[in-house]
Parts: sequence; C-alpha cells; structure tokens
Amino acid sequence: MDNIFTATFFVSIFASTIRLATPILLTALGEIYTQRSGILNLGLEGTMTMSAMAGFVCAYFSKNLFIGFLGGIIVGMICSAFMAFLSITVRANQVIAGTALTILGIGFSSFIYRIIFGIQKLPPQVESLTKFDIPLLSSIPYIGTIFFQHNLIVYLAYILAVFSWIVLEKTTFGLNVKAVGEHPRAADSKGINVSKVRYTAVIIGGAFAGLSGAFMSIAYMNSFSDTMIAGRGFIAVAVVVFARWNPLRAMVGSLLFGIASALQIRFQAIGVPIPNQFLLMLPYLVTIIALITVSKKAEFPSAYTKPYSRMER
Amino acid sequence: MKKTVKVLFVLLVLSLLVTASVSAADEKLKVALILPGQADDMSFNQAMYDAMMQVADEYADKIEVTVVEKVYEVADIEPALMDFASQGYDIIFGHGFQFQEPLIAVAEMFPETAFCLGTGYLTLPNTAVYDVELDTGGYLMGVLAGLMSETGKIGVVGGADVSEIFRGHEGYKYGAKSVNPDIVIEEVYTGDWNDSAAAKEAAISMYDDGVDIIWHSGDGIGLGVLEAAKEKGKFALGNVADQHTLAPDNVLSGVVYQWAPIIKNIIDDVISGAFFKTDPLFYWINIPNGGLTYAPFYELSDKVPADVQAQVQQTYQDLKDGKIELPDFEAAK
Repeated sequence: MDNIFTATFFVSIFASTIRLATPILLTALGEIYTQRSGILNLGLEGTMTMSAMAGFVCAYFSKNLFIGFLGGIIVGMICSAFMAFLSITVRANQVIAGTALTILGIGFSSFIYRIIFGIQKLPPQVESLTKFDIPLLSSIPYIGTIFFQHNLIVYLAYILAVFSWIVLEKTTFGLNVKAVGEHPRAADSKGINVSKVRYTAVIIGGAFAGLSGAFMSIAYMNSFSDTMIAGRGFIAVAVVVFARWNPLRAMVGSLLFGIASALQIRFQAIGVPIPNQFLLMLPYLVTIIALITVSKKAEFPSAYTKPYSRMER
Repeated sequence: MKKTVKVLFVLLVLSLLVTASVSAADEKLKVALILPGQADDMSFNQAMYDAMMQVADEYADKIEVTVVEKVYEVADIEPALMDFASQGYDIIFGHGFQFQEPLIAVAEMFPETAFCLGTGYLTLPNTAVYDVELDTGGYLMGVLAGLMSETGKIGVVGGADVSEIFRGHEGYKYGAKSVNPDIVIEEVYTGDWNDSAAAKEAAISMYDDGVDIIWHSGDGIGLGVLEAAKEKGKFALGNVADQHTLAPDNVLSGVVYQWAPIIKNIIDDVISGAFFKTDPLFYWINIPNGGLTYAPFYELSDKVPADVQAQVQQTYQDLKDGKIELPDFEAAK
C-alpha cells in the first residue's frame, strides 16, 4: 500500500481512462450534432445496443471487422432516422420517443440475436480489433503506452472530436445546424430547410452512436450481450450537457468519467479500505457533481426539444 | 415500460412453449423453470437451463419442462408463479434469490405444488432451497492460482458482493493463502453481472500491476476477464461452464457446475412424496456430491508442473472427503 502511486500505476490508469472514455466520447460527439439542431435523442442506449448487435453479426458472418463497423454505423443511422421521423415529422414528445427507442432497441437486439444464434453453450465470438501501436510515438516511455498503444477506433474517436469542433464552429453546415436549433423560424425565413438539417443532424448522431456500439462488441469485446452497453448511452447525454455542446469539452467530460471509472476499479483491486459499493458510485457521483457545477453555465439551444412547424406561431 | 417489454417477452415465450408442448402425454410431471435472466447468459441462468434440458431428456418419460426467461423484477415474479401454479404445474423452480418472498407467498396458496427456490433461506413444507457452495469451488481455484503464480499476485473479479459470489471469493482467498500465506490478492466487484467491458478493464489493470492469474466468479463479466487474459497473454480461471474453448491458450481451468444430479433428486423426492415431508429442505451442489468439479487443463497441461497438478487433485479429493474445513464466511462478514 505504501508505494502504490508508482509510474506503472499511473500509466495503467491513464491508458485505461482513454479506453473507457472512447465509447462515451463517440456517442456524445454524435449527440452534440443532434442536440445543437434542437433534438434531444434519448434513444442512444437502444441505438448503441442495436449497433453492437449488428456490428457483431456482420463481423461474425463476414469475418471482416470493417464490415462489422459499417453494419453498426448503418443500423445506428436507421435507428436514429426512426427517432428523427418521430420527433421531426410526427412531432412526438422527444423524451418519450427516445425512451421508447431505448427499450425497443435493447429488446429487439436480443430478439434478433436469439433468432440468429439460438441458445448456445458458449457464446459465439469474433477476433476483436487488435491494438495498433503508432510507430515511433508508441515507443516513447510512459506517454507511448498511455496514448499510442490502442486500437484504431480509439484514435479515430479523438480525431473526430477535433473534426466535429471544426464542422460545427467553422463550416456553413455547422452554422445551419445551430441556426435551426436556436431559431428555426429565422433559419426557415433565410431559406434553410429546417427538417432536412435536423434529419441530417440526428442521423449523424446515429452514425456516431452506431460506431460506438460496434466498438463495444467487436473492438472492446469480442461478443455481444444485450446489456453490454450498461448505461453508456445515458452517460453520453450527460457528457453533452456537461460539455455545453462543445466537442472539445465533450472530450474532457468523457475523460473525466473514464478516469473516475479507472480509479474506482484500481482502488478496489489494491484493497483501499472503502466498501466496494461506494467506490462503484464514484464515476456516477463525479458525473452528477460535474453536471451540477456547470449546469448554471449551460445555455440550452433555444429550440431544444421543440418541434418546428411553419403553420404554428 | 421496461417491465411491459419483459412481460410481453415472457408471454411470447410462454405461448410458443405452450403450443409446442400441447401434444405431450398427460401422465408426466409438469415442471416449470422461471429464469431471472437469459438462458444463454453463460452463467447462473445457463447452468440451470442446460442442466434442466439434460434432465428433461433423461427423464423424458417422467417430466415435461417449460422454461420462461427474463422474469427479473419482483413485481413480475408473483404473477408468473401464480400462473404456473394455477395451470396445474407440479414443480416450479424460481431460479434466484429475488424469488424468495413471492415464492413463499404463492406456495402457501398451493400446498399441493412443489416449489424450489434457487438460493435463499425461507422454507415451507412444500418448498425447498437449492444453492451452490461456491466457497469450496473458490478454495480449489485459490489453491491452483496460489501455486501457479510466479509474481505472488493473483486476482479475482466478480459481479456483486452477494451470497454465493461472496462465499466463493472468500474461499478463493482462503485457498490461495493456504498454499502461500504472503500472496497478494486483488479483488474487484464490477457492481453488475453484464458490464463485460468494465470487467475487462479491471482484469487489464490487475495484469498491468503484476497479477498473473485471475479467477472470475461468473456471468457476462467473465467474458471480459478472458478477453483481457487473451490480450495480455496471461492465465484466467473460468466459472460455471468449462470455458476452455473461449481462450484455449489462457483458460487454465475453472469451476464447473453440475445442477443435473440435484434436479433429479428433487424430481425423485417429489415423486416419492419425501419432498413434502421434510422441512426445511435444502439441496446443495458442492464438491463432495459432485455438483462442483474443475475443468481439465487440456493443452495447457504441460505448463502446469506435475506437483501442482497433483496438489490440486489432492485438494479436490480432500474437499470431496470433507477433510478440509472452511470457516463460515458469511457469519464472519
């Protein structure tokens, strides 16, 4: 117990943090597009589960992980297109539609999985995505192990965070997304097709959640279970609010959750004299505290969760 | 709303199974198995499901079996039990601790029906409890891990700190210390039986810290531990089923559950009437009665020194003969 805070301890914790943050970051990035356009998609947990299943099934039968990721992304887009239809075209209550999508996604994915594989003695598996050590960089002591010895999707997630920031802050498309989220009527009067932009934003969100779901089943793990997402879809929504709809801050939020998870695991393992039930709460406590501290500063998009219609005033 | 989905799922499975079994003869005992999770969860539910299917085959002339899955919420359990009891089922298995209160309540209303509770302590003349003495299985794994570790550090990963899982983990620590009093044991509960990614992360962090062998106490999280072992090229020990094929180079051995013998005991006792005459009635699977065994080393056999193999075999035999006394871990808690 005396010298637990060694270099190995920190290297292991930080590398673990980066992996644990990845699925949350990916999902949160997509949700930022969605929410910036004024739509709250609470169905991410279900979307991720569907994509985890689809990604696994595609990878299992094609023996190709790339096809697995593609399948996951496409299914994520289909799920979110359904959400977009409900919230934009049908103008349903988004909280209810999202919750329903979560329940449907989890139930439907385990149903499909059972139809395809039945009940087996041992679960079907794929060869999961192996880690890719970035040449030169990965051999830097400590830093290399922490940052440059992960699988490709992990690197991609952090690149996408920067990319998403550029898209939202520096492009016309980003401006359109924000415009329909802040004041759809004004955007409409300027000739922006509100529902088209919103559909696009929600489906982009689905693609991200899809990649993240497939990451869970074929990159993080090598098998599927209907409970494997384990609340990460909801944590991602919390991270979006914490990040105040900024992709770079979402990276910070995800890493914060990641380090809290990594620390609690490590503390349990080395036998810190705190009951494990309290340590297990740590990541969620951090999430709540983080949300409370930033909630005053959070300025929700003005048209958040409000369906738009030209007919109404 | 989650509940509604579960109820619908149960109804769907029920209707399928009922239609499927209509043609069977009437003379047989009707047995219902209610599982709190999925029959292919690799663990608690699957061990029981597989055993029940095996018994259903072997006792094909005596029983017919109906299974429902995912009856998890206490609010769904009582209606499910009532439903089977009022349909005239003879033996109803509620496979989980959360079945205890509703099972006792329903059993009081149907004194002619036999009810079996998977882990618990309350009984009535027409109910019995069946449970697993995982402390003995854990002890054996602890001995093996303690002998095999070169770094003097071993690990154990579990879902949550409850009943048989807790006893198993304590048995593991006790066993490891019996062969190496200075051994360091790292223990993590993931707080959930399904978050395999968290379990993988827990196992990786242990391996990074110098742990060279980890036992997991079952369920979906076990897959995370095996995946970490594969990635780090270290040893892991399985639980419930023989998990050798999941990672042939890394799964050294594991505890294997055999529920089938006690299911047969229960059915025989119901047929003979002894079931209703004994109270309280407990059926245990443990090492002495062959309900718990350990998986063979397969091709990793040459990595396990002969004296270690002999000592593990001897420990198994001693546990079987009752020569090793384990303390009552739950009382000590």
